[in-house]
Amino acid sequence: MIKRSVSLYSYQQNEFFGWMDWKAQLREIALNLDGADGVEIINETTIPNYPCPPEAWIYEWRSELARWGLQAVTMDTFLDTLQFRDHVMTYREAGERIRYDLELAHKMGFRNMRLCHHTPYQAVEMNLDLAAKYDIIMTNECDVRSLDLGHMMGDSIESEIAFIERTKTKHYGLQIDMSQFQNKPCCIQLRYRFRTAGFSPERAAEAAEDIFQTFEKIGREATNEYIKEKYPEIAGGPFPALHMHANPIGRMYEIIPYLVHMHGKFYEMTEVPGKPGLYEDRALPYEEVFKHLKKSGYNGYISSEFEGQRSQQDMGLEGLIDEVDQVRKHQQMMKRFIEDKHNNTPF
Amino acid sequence: MYDSFMIQADSLKNDVVNGETVGFQFIVRLANYRGIYLSLASGFYVSVDGVEYGEDVQTLEINGKAPRTMAEIARAGFEHWDLQTKAILHIRKPGGLEKGRHDIGYMPATLDGYGYNAHDEEWVTNPPKPGTRGGGKTHHICMFDLELQE
Repeated sequence: MIKRSVSLYSYQQNEFFGWMDWKAQLREIALNLDGADGVEIINETTIPNYPCPPEAWIYEWRSELARWGLQAVTMDTFLDTLQFRDHVMTYREAGERIRYDLELAHKMGFRNMRLCHHTPYQAVEMNLDLAAKYDIIMTNECDVRSLDLGHMMGDSIESEIAFIERTKTKHYGLQIDMSQFQNKPCCIQLRYRFRTAGFSPERAAEAAEDIFQTFEKIGREATNEYIKEKYPEIAGGPFPALHMHANPIGRMYEIIPYLVHMHGKFYEMTEVPGKPGLYEDRALPYEEVFKHLKKSGYNGYISSEFEGQRSQQDMGLEGLIDEVDQVRKHQQMMKRFIEDKHNNTPF
Repeated sequence: MYDSFMIQADSLKNDVVNGETVGFQFIVRLANYRGIYLSLASGFYVSVDGVEYGEDVQTLEINGKAPRTMAEIARAGFEHWDLQTKAILHIRKPGGLEKGRHDIGYMPATLDGYGYNAHDEEWVTNPPKPGTRGGGKTHHICMFDLELQE
């Protein structure tokens, strides 16, 4: 059975404003998500005085997990190669940064530790013995920004698997971000894009919905042309207006043997038309992905990873989206797909 | 990201040292979902009523220490800027700002990233000029209409 967790990344806005600290976030997961029991953190967000939290805080962390019956699933880590500014971080220094993150992950009871993509194998290999000692699986993430699944299925996935096979390690694997499968326009991002281009909130909402509906009718390529013609204000910029990977979901099977964890990235939960009280993210094909995950026998965790908040932080306090509500709706949706006995077989 | 919130709204005021107004200051936050090593803060795009103020007149007061130049901040490779931490950005401008409201353009430049990238070597000696590239998760200059506090 697939298990449900929450990345505290989802509550980043509450963290920023000081409205919910990590204890309040754990309490929310334990009490209001109907059986979710896993926790994922961003090391440089949740851990006070990173990278050297007080020992007393470590005890408090483990105590809170025990209090609520929660599992420390994955700690997300980073690799800032210009940390020392006078030189690019050497691979040995990168290995050292991974080592002390492993020490922290071990102290905090995590079973997985996500590395940054573009982490050299030399730095990973330096730490395989320590990961084995602590029984922590390090993971490389395929997400929307870099090593997309399509690319991973080419040269990179081969090198990942070759590394795992060569070292015969049980402590390095892969994780997938749901954004890999985004196959429809993300309206909350489009609305933000329109507003920053000078549209009023009302016009931005209308234009975003127009793009979504047009996409449904005529598909991606034709919609790109439609945007260039009708909405030139958002056609340029560093990211394409229709920013999506739309990787074939079935190709997931090629990395299932190495799949350790999943990020349930999402941007905006909205009510399913005609089904009051049920929610979906229109940009992401969760139902299909869950069918394949169940078929594959995947029994790890999938973390809610909400990212829509940043698209409404240009409208003042009254414009902010409610992260807690969004995560509750996302968890409700995942539970529905996990437990749906009629959706166990891919079409 | 945090377009409306990167500067604390009630924090713009003049810097007065020994009775002399030497510049102005305001409180800034990271435009990110995570904290970063302080060294990665490479400068700030700041404009006031259309006039830009570069890194050479900027100092950052953070973590309970006296204001530091951006060259000093670059050496803080083992010090962390926590996500929740507010910092004071000081801008040297003899006489400070006039009373009243001011249009502030602001965008942090930080060099945080996700592992190794092709631009790494170049950025050691030639990091992006603030205002030309997103710092953290903010990719454009954000405008703030702030009143100078007494």
